[in-house]
Amino acid sequence: MAVALPGVTLPSVVEELLSEMAAAVQENAQIPDEHLLSLKFIFGSSAVQALDLVDRQSITLISSPSGRRVYQVLGSSRRTYTCLASCHYCSCPAFAFSVLRKNDSLLCKHLLAVYLSQVTRTCRQLQVSDKQLTDILFTKKKQEA
Amino acid sequence: MLRMAEALRRALNLGSSAESEEYTTEAGPPLLLLGGPGSGKTALLFTAALEAAGEGRGPVLFLTRRPLQSLPRGRGAALDPLRLQKIRFQYPPSTHELLQLLCSAHEARGPAPSLLLLDGLEEYLVGDWGPQEVAYLAALLLDTAAHFSHQIGPGQGCGLIVALQIQEQGDSGDALQLSLLQRYFPAQCWLQVDAQGPGQHCLRACLDPGGQGPRAEWWVAFRPDGEMTVTPWPAQAGNPSSDKGSSSEGQP
Repeated sequence: MAVALPGVTLPSVVEELLSEMAAAVQENAQIPDEHLLSLKFIFGSSAVQALDLVDRQSITLISSPSGRRVYQVLGSSRRTYTCLASCHYCSCPAFAFSVLRKNDSLLCKHLLAVYLSQVTRTCRQLQVSDKQLTDILFTKKKQEA
Repeated sequence: MLRMAEALRRALNLGSSAESEEYTTEAGPPLLLLGGPGSGKTALLFTAALEAAGEGRGPVLFLTRRPLQSLPRGRGAALDPLRLQKIRFQYPPSTHELLQLLCSAHEARGPAPSLLLLDGLEEYLVGDWGPQEVAYLAALLLDTAAHFSHQIGPGQGCGLIVALQIQEQGDSGDALQLSLLQRYFPAQCWLQVDAQGPGQHCLRACLDPGGQGPRAEWWVAFRPDGEMTVTPWPAQAGNPSSDKGSSSEGQP
């Protein structure tokens, strides 16, 4: 069954773009314009919104002593969404609708913001206890169920 | 390099004579084991658990809603108590408790599992689950295995195999659920009942490693006493269901 695997891996063109951006950021401390244009070309308006989230430092990498990690993104509507660090998942409605149900987007703006913040190394870091990390992963579920 | 859910592949290869193949400790992509009722999913998962337990690596975490009714038969050496001891069974009785177990997996002490198995995923997907809930459960399974891999350290990893019962002709709800799960489980192994195979109750196992290697097929036969044998499906190009009179060898 030759299905694409957006759930687990990004298309290689996106992977390449992100790693080129990471290299450029390391050299020049900023994202070159042509990379921004490519981003806009691939992701449309989500690219601008994701960059805005990065600018506002809305992405937090939460980790516990166990080494488990999860991202939280403070959305434009002041709601916080949880993004898993190991595979593509965001708790926002756009991910459920456009990515999962309609399959017409690769990512939501929050996940893209997570990847961009990894590139620009601008995510906030927060240490919590193992128990608190459980609650973050688990209460997210209860709210939605 | 064979990367595919090595434990299952090795389990399936046991029936063949070539057991001396080199194996990699890399975990490979998460695998979804799909089949109808009574298609041997649990027996295969358990065999994979025994194989992984015999490798001198971490324990195996086997999640299922109900305890196994019986141990698969006929694998004297494999059923060695030392191996069985390395398989930790947990029986989350509800979806809520399965989610809680996965969300808190990093709180557990002791060595991280080298293989995470979940039998009967369909029993946890009951009720009015939307796409996001199904995706979250799948993503959490991956995240838990990824965390175990992180604990184990580089070069190795924690494998993940999840068994899902499917209907012969799924309705549209099942189809959406299945396509969501396939997003997160690039490799899939389909089990189908096959009347022509060599055995009392014979199945065809077709492994699609999700773009990481060639497809492979096996016969999985269960004798009346419960013993399971696995033989590679005869290499044949084209239509695998072509009848070549090979059914005679499987007649009682």
